[in-house]
Amino acid sequence: MKRLLTILLLMFSLTSYSQCISNQSYTLTPPGPYSPGQVITVNYTLGTFTGVNVNWIHAFQINLGVGWTNLTPTNTPSNIGGSVGNWLWDLQHTYPSGFNFGPGWRFVNTGTAGWGTSATGPFIISFQATVSQTCTADNLSISIEVFDDCTTGGWSNGNCCTDPAYNIYNGVVQVPLIITSNINHY
Amino acid sequence: MKRILTVLLLSIGISSFAQTTINPDTVCANAVGEQYFVTNTPTSTYQWVVTGGGGTLQTGQGTNSITVDWGGIIGLYPNAIEVIESNAAGCLGAPVLLDVFVLDLSGNPIGPFCEGDPTTPLVGSPVGGSWSGTGVVANSFQPSTGVGNYVLTYTMAGCTTTINVVVNNGPVTGPIQHF
Repeated sequence: MKRLLTILLLMFSLTSYSQCISNQSYTLTPPGPYSPGQVITVNYTLGTFTGVNVNWIHAFQINLGVGWTNLTPTNTPSNIGGSVGNWLWDLQHTYPSGFNFGPGWRFVNTGTAGWGTSATGPFIISFQATVSQTCTADNLSISIEVFDDCTTGGWSNGNCCTDPAYNIYNGVVQVPLIITSNINHY
Repeated sequence: MKRILTVLLLSIGISSFAQTTINPDTVCANAVGEQYFVTNTPTSTYQWVVTGGGGTLQTGQGTNSITVDWGGIIGLYPNAIEVIESNAAGCLGAPVLLDVFVLDLSGNPIGPFCEGDPTTPLVGSPVGGSWSGTGVVANSFQPSTGVGNYVLTYTMAGCTTTINVVVNNGPVTGPIQHF
């Protein structure tokens, strides 16, 4: 009985992790840690997207810690062999299902509204961000989330992909110490 | 050779950083244009506050160096000077404080003397300073120095005060006559 339960749990964990995305990689320039005012460039590659239940890729969301500002897109993902439409940079978008997205790129399917794209990759996105002028050690985490049109609500054919956010950086703002000398008298 | 060069450089470095003010700082009553400073960081600004001792900040607010005019009331004034550094991002450093003791010297008047009078101790307030001037030996005045007007100076912690001392001629007694 215990053995059967273990096998069932194992199967559940395998199917609920990294269902649709594979071969992710990134470059982060310059490498951390970071101080106020620094500008970084992120290049992220998703090698392959293989949707379950005919779910298509629909959006790349960039998750940034509060210590980042001035997020700027520099490379839009391609749509090789994909559906009719284009990738649109958006800071925030609420899908008809109520799913809240942004910032990042979302695919606008001009053939069938609400669907993603049938492209399977590779997808390369790039963006820049700036460390805020701050006096506190604010969060500088960076991660990417990929959503399918099942998650966004444009397609319904069984379970959606449940891939976790892809972590790119964890850290906090390096706030320089202010060390004032003693007061001297000439 | 390298060792000598290193020692020389170290010496220069030490001497250029050697100026430090002991807390509390001592200033003379009614001193003007007293300059205070902290090591400068070019991208920083500095907010100074002068309280107590009748002190008023005259110049330099925002910079690493200020001048202060002090009042005339003697006493120890805790945290009389405060500076807070702000870096280019507007972040504040910890306040740096300095106590100030306002020193007002006085000397007890003595004399007038006659040439033959005995040596007289000189008394200054607060005690602990030193006397100087013509006729002064070991913080005492010697009228035997001769007839005249003398300015004696009492010095302590860079402050000074003076007193005037007069030594007159002694009486001139003629020879004894026999009627």
